[in-house]
Amino acid sequence: MTYATTVIIGAGQAGLAMSYELTTRGIDHVILERGLIANSWRKDRWDSLRLLTPNWQSRLPGGGYTGKDPHGFSGKGELVSRLAGYANTHRLPVKTGIEVRSVTPGPHGYRVHTQIGPFDCRNVVVASGACARPSIPALSLGLPHDLPTFTTFDYKRPSDLPEGGVLVVGGSASGLQLARELQSSGRQVILSAGEHVRVPRRYRGRDVAWWMDASGVMDVGYRDVDDLSRVRRTPSLQLAAGESTLDLNMIQSQGVQVVGRLSAVRDGEALFSGALRNHCDLADLKQTRLLDRFDAWADAQGLAGELPWPDRPAPTELPPVPRLSLKLSSGEIASVLWATGYRPDHGFLDLPVFDRRGQLVHDGGIVTGAPGLYAMGLPFMRRRKSTLVDGAAADAHDLANHMYAQLSCAAAA
Amino acid sequence: MTTAGAVPEMDRFETKGWPTRVVRSIARVLRLGTISLTSPISQTQKEKDMNVQSPLTADNGVNVDALLGARQAITDMPAAGQFTWRATCEWQTGVQSRSIVEGFFGLGEEQERGAAFMIDADHPAQFAAGNAGATPLEIALSALASCLTAGVASVAQNRGIQLHKVTAHVEGDMDLAGVLGADADVRNGFSDIRVTFDIDADASEADIAALVAQSQKRSAVFDVITNPTNVSVSVA
Repeated sequence: MTYATTVIIGAGQAGLAMSYELTTRGIDHVILERGLIANSWRKDRWDSLRLLTPNWQSRLPGGGYTGKDPHGFSGKGELVSRLAGYANTHRLPVKTGIEVRSVTPGPHGYRVHTQIGPFDCRNVVVASGACARPSIPALSLGLPHDLPTFTTFDYKRPSDLPEGGVLVVGGSASGLQLARELQSSGRQVILSAGEHVRVPRRYRGRDVAWWMDASGVMDVGYRDVDDLSRVRRTPSLQLAAGESTLDLNMIQSQGVQVVGRLSAVRDGEALFSGALRNHCDLADLKQTRLLDRFDAWADAQGLAGELPWPDRPAPTELPPVPRLSLKLSSGEIASVLWATGYRPDHGFLDLPVFDRRGQLVHDGGIVTGAPGLYAMGLPFMRRRKSTLVDGAAADAHDLANHMYAQLSCAAAA
Repeated sequence: MTTAGAVPEMDRFETKGWPTRVVRSIARVLRLGTISLTSPISQTQKEKDMNVQSPLTADNGVNVDALLGARQAITDMPAAGQFTWRATCEWQTGVQSRSIVEGFFGLGEEQERGAAFMIDADHPAQFAAGNAGATPLEIALSALASCLTAGVASVAQNRGIQLHKVTAHVEGDMDLAGVLGADADVRNGFSDIRVTFDIDADASEADIAALVAQSQKRSAVFDVITNPTNVSVSVA
C-alpha cells in the first residue's frame, strides 16, 4: 500500500500545473500517468496538428515560453518536449506507465487502484483531460457497414483514408483543419457543419489569441456567465495555427462543399439540416459581437491609434441551394471522418459523482458530494480558458488553495 | 374559433406526488397569456455585454420568468417535459377537411384547454376545389411563421427589448410536377422557404438580427421543417 496526501491522475498540462502548485504549498503528492508525459498529445492526435494558441500563450506556473519564436505555433512534438522539460525542471513526481483502473472510497478518503496496486490518499485530482474520447453521434450506427469511418483519434494523415471523396462531419477546429488537409490531398471533401464559432485568425494586425487574452475574454469566470451548461457545450473556435483564417468561406474557396448538420441517415442516404443558413448567421452575429467587444476594449485602453482600422470579415457565403442529401453508396464518398468533438472519460471514478447524463458534477472543479476530489482541464471549468494550456495555471492555483485550506482545517480540528 | 379558457388547477398536479415547486413552475407555463406581466425583467449579463439600449421594463406580454422556471423544473424532472401534441382531422367534402385541436399530454398527465380550436383546410378554385380554407401547405408556412414570431417575442422579452410591431412574410416555392406525379425527380414539398421579418422595436439592427437568428435556433416548427422526422401513418 502506498500513501500520498494527493494523487493526480494524468500528466498533461493540467496535472503538471497542479503538481507545481501542490509542490509550492508543500502538499505531498504523486502524478499517475497511463503512458508518458503529455500522452494524448503524443498518441491521440493527427500528425499535422499544431497548437491553436501562439507559443507565448503556453504559460505554466513557474515557467512561460522561453524559446526563440514566441509568436509561432508549436507542433505536437515541441509541446511534448516542453511539458516533459517542465516536469523535469521542477522535479515533479510523475510515475509513468501507471494505469488507473478505478477510484473508490478508501480509509483516508480515496483509494486509487492501479495495475501495480492501490494508492491511498486524501485528495484526488482528475486531470485526464476533456478530450479523452472522441464523441460520435448515435446516428453513426446507421451508416452502411462497409463504409470506412474514422475519428480524430485514429486519423493520422490523408493516406490513412481510401482514395475518393470524404464526408467530414463537424464544423469546429478539428473538422475544418482536416477538411482543408484532405481537400489538399486531392480528395473531394463534403463538410457537414452545425452550430459553430467563427473568428478571424488576425484582427487589426494582432492575433485573435492576443485579443482574447488582453481584453479579458479568456478570463471570464464560470460564475459570470448566464447559462453555464450552454457555454460548456459551446464548440471550439474555428481556428488553425498560422497567420490565416480558417472558416467556411476559406475552405469553400479551396473547393470543399459545405452542407448542413448531419441530421439523419435513412435508406442509405445521409440527410443534412436545412438550418445551415441560420447556423452561419448565428456564427456571423457572434463574431461581430466579439469584434465589437475587442474594439470597445481597445478604445477604452486608448489603443485605437496604435491599431489599424477594423477590417471586418465578410459574412459567410453559401451556395444558393445547399444540398440536403447524399447517397452513401453512390461512390461520391469513400469514407467518413467524425470530427464531432471530444468528451472526458471519467468511467474509472467508482463514486456517486455523475448526473443522469453521466457528466461529472462539480463547482468550478470542486467535485460535488466528494470532499477532496477535484477536476482539472474541463470546458469552462473555472474560466473560459480552462481547457487551454494557458488556462491550467490559474485553475491549479485556485484549486490548490482550496485543497490547502481544507487540509489546514482538518489539521486544526 | 374560440379563445383559450380556464387553465388546469394547481392541486390536480399536486396529487401526482411531484415536488410542489417543480409543478408550480411548470404549471405557470400553461397560464401564459392569462398572466399580466407586472414585474420588471432584469437585464442579463448577455445584454450588458451586447450593450442593448432598451428599457428594463420591456413588456411584450411574455412571461419569461415562468419559461425560465419551467426550463429549470424540467431539468430537475425530465419526465415532466415529455409532451404529445394532437389534432383530429375530419374529411368534409372534396379536398376540404377540418382539424380540431383540444387536449394534449404533458407534465405527466392528460391536459385540457377548456376550449377547442378549429383549422379548416381546402384548396383554391384554381384547383377546382371549394376554397373553404387555406391549403395545408399554407398552414405549414403559417405554423413556421407563428413559431418564429413567438420566438422573437420571447427572446426580445428575455433581452429586455420592447417590440412595437412584428410582421413575418413567408413564401414557399414548389414545383407542382412533384405532387401531380408528372416528374419523378421533383419532390412533393417545398424546394425553398423564405421568411422575411419586418420588426419595429427599441433595438439596434444588429440586436434585431440576433433576435431573429435566436428564434430559429429555438423553434420547434423550424426544426420540424429543416430536419427529417420519422412519420408513421397507419389505419386504425
